[in-house]
Amino acid sequence: MDAMEKQIASLVADADSVQLAPSPLTLWLKWMGIAAAYIAVSLLFLGVRSDVLESMHNALFLAEMGLLIAIVITTALSASLLAYPDIYQRSRWTLAPIFMFVIFVGVIALAWQADNPPAPLPVHSYQCSLTIAVLALLPAAWMFYSMRQLASTHRRFAGVVTMLSAFSIGAITLRLSEQTNSIIHVIEWHYLPMVGVAWLGVWLGKQLLKW
Amino acid sequence: MAKTSVSLEMLMQQALTGDKRAYADLLRDTAQFLRPYLSKRLSAASDVDDLLQEILVSIHKARHTYDGKRPYKPWVFAIAHFRLQDYLRTYYADQLRFASEIGELENTLPADVTNSDFSYESISGEVNQLPEKQAAILSLMHEEGYTAKEVAAKIGMKESAVKVAAFRAYKILREKLSK
Repeated sequence: MDAMEKQIASLVADADSVQLAPSPLTLWLKWMGIAAAYIAVSLLFLGVRSDVLESMHNALFLAEMGLLIAIVITTALSASLLAYPDIYQRSRWTLAPIFMFVIFVGVIALAWQADNPPAPLPVHSYQCSLTIAVLALLPAAWMFYSMRQLASTHRRFAGVVTMLSAFSIGAITLRLSEQTNSIIHVIEWHYLPMVGVAWLGVWLGKQLLKW
Repeated sequence: MAKTSVSLEMLMQQALTGDKRAYADLLRDTAQFLRPYLSKRLSAASDVDDLLQEILVSIHKARHTYDGKRPYKPWVFAIAHFRLQDYLRTYYADQLRFASEIGELENTLPADVTNSDFSYESISGEVNQLPEKQAAILSLMHEEGYTAKEVAAKIGMKESAVKVAAFRAYKILREKLSK
């Protein structure tokens, strides 16, 4: 018996019936449900900004929130597909977050232009980045844990979209909680750190999604 | 072709329910169609065999991610490509380290040889304490007068590998003798 036959025999000996992994759609729906519940619970603790209804009449704020939600949805979808070795043979879908992100940057640029005269800056600064990071910890851990049960062959990309998804959840929560209309503050202490930290996902994905 | 593809998917579905015979057939078929893919990309047959075995283990570990609702071959090739990339990354990292060791060797070897205050006989005791392969290389080069190229041919190693082994041996000897 040659080495290959021995290897096959040992793998066959170890092969009982297997519990199939959930489909990407199931995984994604589960994540979305958990994300919605997590944002709701976090807002219960942090409190919703008092001018939230008034802000909803601002088209740019509404677009910003809508696109943040779209980023969470598309990054989570992308991460759920990237958890499969063959990306579930739907690789185009993994690029969806890029389109959302481009539109998001456009909306933020418009909001920046419209912020004239600029809204007063809040007294705090880096605390917002820290809060987003803390809020993102649990979703990131949960998503990485779920993905470890599968077998990603695009670990770095999967890591980035997972981190972006988790940090977007944190950003949505804080945006609905913190009472500020200063777009400069939001760019500087919410979104730039969020995008910066998401790149940690390259390393985290490589380390955490080994199999 | 389509028949093979369908039968592979069926075999996998049977294997997932615990059918060991189907699983063995599937792994054999998979190894068969992956071998040419790997042979095109790797020069040594032993490397192809090693990597093929590694890929089969990966398929085994990831088999729960295949649900039978999509073609089998793209799923397998994604895993094979992933493992091949890993393998090549490690291979080239080794080559790079090897090249830098050779570079270091070329810088230091002439000085070591010409400035040596020791004859081979006077340090043969220390040489014998070296790892077996290094000791054999030094013996062939300095006691019997073979060149690195001749030693390489004699013991079935690459010339660069012989030089690196000799360099490491000199380094150990230098440390020992300078004490």
